[in-house]
Amino acid sequence: MADRPTSLAGRRVLVVEDEYFIAMDMEYWLQEAGAEVAGPVPDTEQALALIEAGPLDAAVLDVNLMSETVYAVADRLKERGVPYLFVTGEVQIADCSDYRSRPKLEKPILDTELLRAVGKLMPS
Amino acid sequence: MPDYEQMMKRQQVLADFGEFALRSEDLHEVLTEACRLVAEALGTDRAKVLEIQQGGRCLFVRAGVGWAPDVVGQMRLPMSEHSSETFAIEEGKPVITQDIGKEERFEVPEFMKKAGVVALVNVPIFVPGRKAYGLLQVDATEPRDFAQEDIAFLRTYATILGPVIDRLQKVSSLRATEERFRLVVENARDYAIFTTDPEDRITDWYAGAEAVFGWSAEEAIGQPSAIIFTSEDREAGADEKETETARREGSAPNVRWHLRKDSSRVFIEGMTTTLRAADGSLRGFLKIGQDVTGRRKADEALRESEERFRALACLVPVVLWRSDASGMQISSNQLWLDYTGQSLEQSQSGGWLDAIHRDDQAMTREVFRTGHAERRIVEVQLRIRGQDGSYRWFLVRQTPITDAQGRLVEWFGAAMDIEELRGSQARQEVLVKELQHRSRNLLGVVTSLANRTVGQGGPVESFTTRLKALSRAQALLSQSGSDTAEVGALVDAQLAAHADSAPKRITISGPRVQLSSEQVQNFALALHELATNALKYGALKGETGRLSVTWERLRDENGGKRLALSWIESGVDVQPEQVTRRGYGRELIERALTYALQARTEFELAADGVRCRIEMPLA
Repeated sequence: MADRPTSLAGRRVLVVEDEYFIAMDMEYWLQEAGAEVAGPVPDTEQALALIEAGPLDAAVLDVNLMSETVYAVADRLKERGVPYLFVTGEVQIADCSDYRSRPKLEKPILDTELLRAVGKLMPS
Repeated sequence: MPDYEQMMKRQQVLADFGEFALRSEDLHEVLTEACRLVAEALGTDRAKVLEIQQGGRCLFVRAGVGWAPDVVGQMRLPMSEHSSETFAIEEGKPVITQDIGKEERFEVPEFMKKAGVVALVNVPIFVPGRKAYGLLQVDATEPRDFAQEDIAFLRTYATILGPVIDRLQKVSSLRATEERFRLVVENARDYAIFTTDPEDRITDWYAGAEAVFGWSAEEAIGQPSAIIFTSEDREAGADEKETETARREGSAPNVRWHLRKDSSRVFIEGMTTTLRAADGSLRGFLKIGQDVTGRRKADEALRESEERFRALACLVPVVLWRSDASGMQISSNQLWLDYTGQSLEQSQSGGWLDAIHRDDQAMTREVFRTGHAERRIVEVQLRIRGQDGSYRWFLVRQTPITDAQGRLVEWFGAAMDIEELRGSQARQEVLVKELQHRSRNLLGVVTSLANRTVGQGGPVESFTTRLKALSRAQALLSQSGSDTAEVGALVDAQLAAHADSAPKRITISGPRVQLSSEQVQNFALALHELATNALKYGALKGETGRLSVTWERLRDENGGKRLALSWIESGVDVQPEQVTRRGYGRELIERALTYALQARTEFELAADGVRCRIEMPLA
């Protein structure tokens, strides 16, 4: 895949996604682009723990997790100044101007789409 | 010595005058004739009648002969104390001036001197009741010694003149009264006026009656007044009762629907009054009435409209109200009072706002304020507190009502309970969101499934069978309608798709356990993988294998509910290639369930078949 951007080398990216195989795909794509993946994790509890555990350059958040939403994680990332994007099946993001100002990818997502969007989150 | 011939002539004059006076009804004509005859009889050429006017302050030259046109009908003399005229009236007897030049008792009016009057006689005229009318004045242009018989003649003449004048004055006065009456009656178009005889037959029928009832005078006169009564009133004897009451009481109200010539009806508000002669005998009835049909119909229409409003307001399950232009005075239907528990007084002057949810009050006040200011329809959704203290959503609309001139007269409002509607709308929104979430998620899962099978060189068939497994799980979810699927149903569905072999080799047992929609997808896929594996390599492939799928509810150390499912194959001749195979199915069971469902899974390929245990938390 010669056209795949490889600007993610050395970046640490958090992935929060409750669907195992989708999470695995995203992990694989990010690793292929040179990124280090924190997670993937299926719930907010584990995601928040990872945020505490070490520095992050970006995050990819699935909005609807098994029995909760990901917004608590988004809030913590904002506090930390970590850029993030949403990956969602929802058409609507919760009514909060900060959430709505964030990039949003709609499922199903493609590898190139994800890598380009994650790349844009961070200054090169 | 009395002159016999002269006496006869004067008798003739009196007789002629009497006859003339009887024929004529014109006072001026009669008086002029009187003057002419008197002047002729006395040979003076001049005579006049003076009438007391202005309450006795002056004398008006009412008629005369031998006098210029600027005197007769024009001249008024003041009744001075020193005039012979005034003296004669006060004394009640003739006063004679034989020669003005020698007259010392009285002053003679200037115009008479100028006209050459030298001698004159003033004879007072009295109408019946000794009431002074005026004077008959005979003027001579030469000195004259009026004889005794002249005076006697004039007195007789004046005595006759009195009653004649009186009669003619009364006729004239009556005529004026009658004329006024006629004018009033004939011009009173809005009032039907007619009279009847004692038998209640129409005797006079005026223009107003014709206008109101339609019959002309020719058609109406002679008819019983019952013709204007409706048939039901005639049958009930209403017409007779009315005249009876009038006869007894003097008058009777007449307020009822009446009939017109064209059979249409008019509502009359009127009165029947008895007409009696001086001796008290009944002469007939005077009937006066006003056509108030328009007002009556408007009243009835208004009453009917209000009754309809009240009926409607009680029937429909909607709170309705009317308020005055300011919006302060409200007449509400019972439903508002019943629902809110407010009294009508409490709802006045904006008090109804108290029943509005606190969070909606400011918005409601503002919407109504601008609606009032701009006379626009108000529309707002708000919560209203019921008597039990709970709130329900209402759709409130209020529209301005204007009169024919476009002036705002009142407001008409309605509040409809939309609690159920809003509830179902909210549920629908949740449902649509959930549907979108699920279908997009599913597409994500399908995409990754495709990556893992076809994308890595696997057979397309295994992709499509996995899609079918997913589809069966989704079908179960939508069937239940409760967003959950039962474990037994999931097991049955996945096995039924593959196991057309004898069901006696398969044991399925477990309690009813519901899985949430999030759990179902991965759980169903896991069962699918186990079933596919069993069909290809395991218990469902040969004739000897057996399969047991059992599950139970458990409690973990923290008391949380868990499901434990055991998939145990036996009697299987395990092939070596199977042992080393680690594909999508194993990854799903061993890793995906752990990742997504916090499951603990064990997958073991024992000597006689697969043994798999899946234990996972329940919601």
